[in-house]
Amino acid sequence: MNFTAADFRKLALPIALALILAGAGAALIWFVNRQLIVVNSKFAAVRTERTQAREKLARISEEEREVKERIEVYRRLRELNIIGKERRLDWADSIQRIRLSREMLDVKYRIEPQKVLASIAGKPGKVDFNVSSMKLELALLHEGDLLGFLDDLRGAGNAYVSVRRCAITRSGSGAPPPGASILTPRLRAECQIDLITVMDAGAKA
Amino acid sequence: MSERRLLYFTASGHQLYAWNGGKLSLEAVFSDNEDGVAEFRTLAKQHAGSLYYVVADLAGEDFHDETIPSLRGGDRQSVIERRLAQRYRDTRLAAALSLGAIAVAGERRNERLVLASFTNTQQFSPWLDALSEAGAKLAGVYSVPLLASAVASKLAAKMGAQNSRMFVVSMNSAGLRQSFLEDGKLRFARLERTGEMGADALAAFVRSETLRLVQYLSSLRVLPRDGPPITALVITPPGQREVFEQSLPSDGRLTFRTIDLPEAARISGIKGADRIAGEQLYLHFAAKNPPKEQFARSEDRKGFLIWQLQRGVVAAGALGLAACCLFAGYKWLEIMGIREQTESQSRETRSAEHEYQRVTSTFPVTLTTTDNLKITVNEFRSIAARTAVPGPALAHVSRALEQFPQIELDQLVWRMDRPTLTEKVAVDPSKPIPAGPAAQPNPAAAAAAAAQSDFAQLLEISGHVNATQRSDYRSITAQVQSFADALQADRAYEVVRTQLPFDTTSAGTLSGDIGSSEGNDTPRFTITLSRKAGK
Repeated sequence: MNFTAADFRKLALPIALALILAGAGAALIWFVNRQLIVVNSKFAAVRTERTQAREKLARISEEEREVKERIEVYRRLRELNIIGKERRLDWADSIQRIRLSREMLDVKYRIEPQKVLASIAGKPGKVDFNVSSMKLELALLHEGDLLGFLDDLRGAGNAYVSVRRCAITRSGSGAPPPGASILTPRLRAECQIDLITVMDAGAKA
Repeated sequence: MSERRLLYFTASGHQLYAWNGGKLSLEAVFSDNEDGVAEFRTLAKQHAGSLYYVVADLAGEDFHDETIPSLRGGDRQSVIERRLAQRYRDTRLAAALSLGAIAVAGERRNERLVLASFTNTQQFSPWLDALSEAGAKLAGVYSVPLLASAVASKLAAKMGAQNSRMFVVSMNSAGLRQSFLEDGKLRFARLERTGEMGADALAAFVRSETLRLVQYLSSLRVLPRDGPPITALVITPPGQREVFEQSLPSDGRLTFRTIDLPEAARISGIKGADRIAGEQLYLHFAAKNPPKEQFARSEDRKGFLIWQLQRGVVAAGALGLAACCLFAGYKWLEIMGIREQTESQSRETRSAEHEYQRVTSTFPVTLTTTDNLKITVNEFRSIAARTAVPGPALAHVSRALEQFPQIELDQLVWRMDRPTLTEKVAVDPSKPIPAGPAAQPNPAAAAAAAAQSDFAQLLEISGHVNATQRSDYRSITAQVQSFADALQADRAYEVVRTQLPFDTTSAGTLSGDIGSSEGNDTPRFTITLSRKAGK
């Protein structure tokens, strides 16, 4: 028996139908596989969330202790205005006030533009640690003036004072010349100080 | 599902039945002439979509035993066609029925066949041509004996009358039909006209004709002379079973088993079986479960074969879809399971978070979130740990300096920094201070020191020794070493570098100018002191 072209044409529609059916089956499997990937991915994410939530819950007593321990530090930082916007005018006022209170002869300072020291992701927002470098030059009667100045600056708040470098050099002879003023500076100090402030995006007003 | 129509083909006339779900209904009767063919052609055109089964019930049917070599595929088909062509002049309607393989020791394996055809095949031609012209699909041309095997199989199983050799006897419209089956396969058949007979006469006729057939087959050695009794399954006309049972006593040669035609029809699954003719039993099996063997050539069945191919292709597609659906269903069950697990885990997460919120609500009121509180304080502490004030270091130097009035300081440089490689070199206070412009770095000690801490307070002390001659190297070295030792008296501090005003090593140059300008040139030194951050 030989098939003619007309006979093959009679098979065209069934073949097309069979291909459509097979294609539908393949599409169904593709769809199901995609769904499987999606639900597997979601399951993995949910499982991770569950593990984290349970671990968090398990650590809750430790967390309570940590919160209690840290809350005082945080409060103190807020009271000192270390957390919040930079207060350059307050810094300038503080330096002026210290100079007057300690009767210091010569105080020069230069504060550089603010930079980000560290930026840490948190919830609901990040916590930025900003730093402004200050170059300080002091004329000293003795080294105690420098230490007192730095103590006063730290106590004034408005930033966390981190002294990076201080160089103390003699600015004259060991004994003042006869007739010279007793207030002639004998030492000169040059310091590099970081003024650190914190911007907490999650801080409540 | 296509409609099925069956043409019951006899010498006296032809009947067309429609088969629908197990019910046969007579549609038309055709005379065996030109008019009958024309009517059939018209009806076939009207029902061109139907599948047509031709069931012949003719006396002139030939059966011939043949043996061929055991072959497969195309070779076997070629041999069979050649044998049919040798046996029959017209092979348009001829069939080869396989009886199975025979193997004789020492000889090649052969296959036994029964070649079957009709004495006069020309009588079919106008009817088959009419189907072809109508575009109808001829499923096959069967004879009643070809269908006897299916009838016997069904009825014998129900009646408990199985036997390897069996006669199937029925009273059809065409006459008395006798088919001989061996192992369920057709070996021989004959049709005898009956005319108008009463039940008793018909029963006697059945007995005599069956015995004659036994004798004939025995003479052909198809039946053994002395064998077990052969079962003769007699399908009696409706209501005549008792008469037949009385007239058909069994003996050592034949065991007669009778069944009423309506009962046989019911067993076979024919609906409305109360008033049917004997041939309808065969027609039912032709429509419902046609045997593989039939008489028509593939050319005459082309439409049917294409129809089968169409169905097969679509069925393959549907089967593929079904397989995909099954697989997808299995996967979907997996997805449902994962979704349930996901939901369960989500519930557990929500529960844990709720519990966490409940417990944390009892915590002290914070000014920020718990996370940011921890981040802020932790990082602040980290920064604070790297921070120090110069006061304690300066006080430490001041205390040491009180013991050495001859040493005067020129400069103090305090810084928080990571010690450089040179500055990281540890100095053992028990050993003499290495002389030279700078102590030579010890890489192993430097690496060890680097591993301990990153940040340290470094205090660089520059000064000179008064009241000692410039050339008195030994005294100057001793005083600087003593001063360095005093600086290290507190274990928190460590001298990491010492620079003397001269080089006493063998590699350096040591010069002196004794007595000329001593006292004007004060020997200067530098000591670098380290204290780790946080100490």
